[in-house]
Amino acid sequence: MAETTVTPGRPTRSGNGGRGSPRPVRQGLSERALGKVFVSPSIILMAMVALFPVLYAFVLSLYLYTRRQPIGFGGIDNYVRALTDSRFWDSIQFTFIFTVTSVTAEFLIGLGFALLMNQAFRGRGVTRAAILIPWVIPTVIAAQMWFFMFNVTPGFINSVLGLGNFNWLGQSGWATFTVVFADVWKTAPFVALLLLAGLQTIPNDVYESARVDGAGMFARFWYVTLPLLKPAILVALLFRTVDALRVYDLPQVMTRGAFGTESLSMLVQQYVVRTPNPGYGAALSTLTFIVVLGIGIIFVRLLGRDLVIGSGVEGGRR
Amino acid sequence: MKSYKSWLASGGVLALLAVAACTPGTGDDEDGEMVWAIGGSEAQPGGIHQRIAEMWSEQNPDNPIRIEVLPEAADQQREQQALELQAGGSGFDVLGVDVIWTGEYSENDWLESLEDVRAEIEAVTLPGPFESATWGGELWAAPYNSNAGFLYYRTDLVDTPPTTWEEMCEVATSAAEEEGIAGFVGQGARYEGFVVNWLEYYWSNGGELYNEDQTQVTFDTAAAAEVTEFMNENLDTCFAPGFNTAQEEEARNEFQGGNAVFMRNWPYAYALIEDDEGSPANGNFDVAPLPTFTGDGTISALGGFNNAVSAFSNNTEAAKDFVVWAATNEEVQTMLATEASLPPTMASVYDDPALAGDPVMALLGDVLGDARARPPSPAWNEISVEMQNNLFPAYNGDADINTAVENVRTFLEGTID
Amino acid sequence: MTSMTPTPTGSVQERALDTRAEELEREKRVLNRMNTLRMWGKTALLGVILFWCLFPFFWLIMTSLKQGDPALNDPNLFRGPFGLQNYVAVFQQDFHLNLRNSFVVAGMTTILCIAIGSLCAYAIARLPLKRKILLLSAVLAVSLFPPVALVPPLYEVWRTLGLLNTYEGLYLPYTAFTLPLTIFILTTFFASIPADLAEAAKVDGATPFQAFYRIIFPLAAPGVFAAAIIVFVLAWNEFLLASTFAPRNPEVAQTVPVAIAAFTGAVEFQRPIGTITAASVVVTIPMIIIALVFQRRIVAGLTAGGVKG
Repeated sequence: MAETTVTPGRPTRSGNGGRGSPRPVRQGLSERALGKVFVSPSIILMAMVALFPVLYAFVLSLYLYTRRQPIGFGGIDNYVRALTDSRFWDSIQFTFIFTVTSVTAEFLIGLGFALLMNQAFRGRGVTRAAILIPWVIPTVIAAQMWFFMFNVTPGFINSVLGLGNFNWLGQSGWATFTVVFADVWKTAPFVALLLLAGLQTIPNDVYESARVDGAGMFARFWYVTLPLLKPAILVALLFRTVDALRVYDLPQVMTRGAFGTESLSMLVQQYVVRTPNPGYGAALSTLTFIVVLGIGIIFVRLLGRDLVIGSGVEGGRR
Repeated sequence: MKSYKSWLASGGVLALLAVAACTPGTGDDEDGEMVWAIGGSEAQPGGIHQRIAEMWSEQNPDNPIRIEVLPEAADQQREQQALELQAGGSGFDVLGVDVIWTGEYSENDWLESLEDVRAEIEAVTLPGPFESATWGGELWAAPYNSNAGFLYYRTDLVDTPPTTWEEMCEVATSAAEEEGIAGFVGQGARYEGFVVNWLEYYWSNGGELYNEDQTQVTFDTAAAAEVTEFMNENLDTCFAPGFNTAQEEEARNEFQGGNAVFMRNWPYAYALIEDDEGSPANGNFDVAPLPTFTGDGTISALGGFNNAVSAFSNNTEAAKDFVVWAATNEEVQTMLATEASLPPTMASVYDDPALAGDPVMALLGDVLGDARARPPSPAWNEISVEMQNNLFPAYNGDADINTAVENVRTFLEGTID
Repeated sequence: MTSMTPTPTGSVQERALDTRAEELEREKRVLNRMNTLRMWGKTALLGVILFWCLFPFFWLIMTSLKQGDPALNDPNLFRGPFGLQNYVAVFQQDFHLNLRNSFVVAGMTTILCIAIGSLCAYAIARLPLKRKILLLSAVLAVSLFPPVALVPPLYEVWRTLGLLNTYEGLYLPYTAFTLPLTIFILTTFFASIPADLAEAAKVDGATPFQAFYRIIFPLAAPGVFAAAIIVFVLAWNEFLLASTFAPRNPEVAQTVPVAIAAFTGAVEFQRPIGTITAASVVVTIPMIIIALVFQRRIVAGLTAGGVKG
């Protein structure tokens, strides 16, 4: 049902110039060529900045070091060392717990914010600005702020909640909670912003026709809003997930990785900066990259059909 | 076939980069001016490092020196220096190096050896700070300023400062109960400061990390387990709530706010509490040497910064002159104490009658002689991280203490080759 | 409701109409009550949301106004003395130069990202290209390597190219690392615009490029502005690369977060919480203004037909 209601808003593949032999469209540039021209600046800039350091890191990860001193080629030794280190798995565990809890909460709260921001009501302008405030505060500062608020001294949250000397940051479990809490506070607006923009592109007549069909508020949300919002939701979830998987500032400033709050990126940072071992640090980076990319690609596959509908199929056939 | 269009587009980006590349970068000066890379509050305009640099520049107009202000956090200072040095850059001539970086920098061949001026420096410098500037029997930096921990206590609640840690906790617990405040605060969060605090307990319990020339591990697991146990037992009683998330400033706030009887902290807190007229501790506190477990003497971990000469400097000789001058010139060293409350490394300064009236400098003069440097080994950062990873959960009751100290011992053994 | 066209011709019908009117009355009352309830519910919800978002910011402002340790270390937000000294201190440290640098860097990043990224996104969403999924995955991959591991090799390259302590040295990598997010957001929005529109434009004689920037680009405005805010904020707040590539010298390129991290207390170890919070308030205010302006564009479509707010 949803699909049929949705059709007007959906890109439909009404045959365009790309099919068959590339038809030269004015000025001698076919759409296919135009596609390449459009894509290349982005690809070239990204490749120029990112390709070298990534390849460099991968090559480094194959060499063994004592601190900064190279001691020879090690093949997969660094990877074996990482995969057999309990700290690696502990940080994977924390990173996953952090990602799942914070992204879920951010999605729900962000969606709520977006639906609210999308409505017309008195004081809407102020509310919209207010909702974005947490997100525009630099992360390092937000982290310090939540440290002060949660910490026993001066004990701001404790005094507001009347909790005495409750040690939020100084015990297992609650330490994780505070980091997740701060992240949700900080980044739910990001999700809200993306979803709000997504809501804006849903044509009003889609709602109208659903209303005429007798769909209630909930049904409209479930069968009209959500499916149409799916691409925006997926993009928001994708970037929240890959960012959460690489979380660094919040646990670093708030707990310094104590009480099981050491994230993968903190481990990477340790071996790149604090106790430099270029080979091992690069191996940990590469492993992090593989984990994050693996999860990212799942999202891309889910997204793919919505984004490249039509021409992607054609391209795939060749 | 149409790829030439893509190349056109890429050419645009390349051009952009090329323009960027032509913008001259800052860095290498060939005119004899030296750069001193140092961070912290005293490196800011008006700070003592700036004034010392100006003084040098006036006296040596051919080789003036200016400061590149590094960030506030020591980790970031080290990172910025490391990036420049790793690239072999001559952007820095003189490096302000934390006492624990000496070995690492020398292992990477980032420093010019100061062996040829060793005698000059050794003659006037306190032994602890001097040791912190050497590695592998060679002098790599000129001591500049030092630091040591004090026991701050409330004179209205405590009659005489305790001499053992156990006594401190007994007094703290009973006084704290009476007053409804906490007993003791220190640096208990998981960071370098915790390692410093732990080492002070451990050393004062007769423990050591390495033998004299650092060729053998002499780590005493029994003594280590004892002091970790001590921390664990007192975590909910004598130690203030939030001890395990406290760094220097959290501890100071707690003590300055009148919420603790005792505090382990660096000398910097003294003047701040004295200036705070609203503080319950103001006028009611004093400083004493840190207690020990044996009841004899005192032991503190050394802090502070030394000045090293970058191996990539284009001005090695002048830079060397500068670091020697800053370490051995009585006027410079006295300025550190009188104008910035930074503990000098030059022994004779502490006998200066001008400092006699200063309780902080007087006590520093007493304790610096017995203060001990963390081994400035190239592996120190790794050792510190390992100690944090094992001992922190252990004292918080999240890991087995005996396993933790065994792990530390094993790791230390791995650093000897 | 709309079908109600009263044509009173007979008594029966009149009576029926009366009951009908009563029903309507009742319905209206119920509706009114529901509306009031809903309004109160909404207001309460709004209150909670505003509290959640604003309270920490309020804490930031109050803390930035506090003077001296006793006030700063008191959990009571209203414990004085208060004053503007922290703000004075912030601007004595050349903070206006840092603000300028951040504006240039974040602004350039946003312009480049939107300009380059929207072309790429349009191509992925609308033009025939081979292996789009692979392309998207590759684009995503660019931004996923742990940034801290990219810093040492990039530093050496930047050093050789003379890009350290320059604006280009910051906004080029920022653009590269935020392009993936931009491309994904914009692709989503371009894909949601009916293809027939562009087709129609082409029938009218527009080139594919004209179809893009005359028809598609404006229609995707909400997405474009959302992407722009996001890119701007990310670039404005970036710390790792900024602190590595332009760590010092506000005159040259040092950005706001780096400057804040360089704040020190009066003496060693002292944490300058007053100046840090004051600086945070200072940097947040322009961001709020920018967010407000851009947001208006995001929801422009709504305001046209909506109730005044």
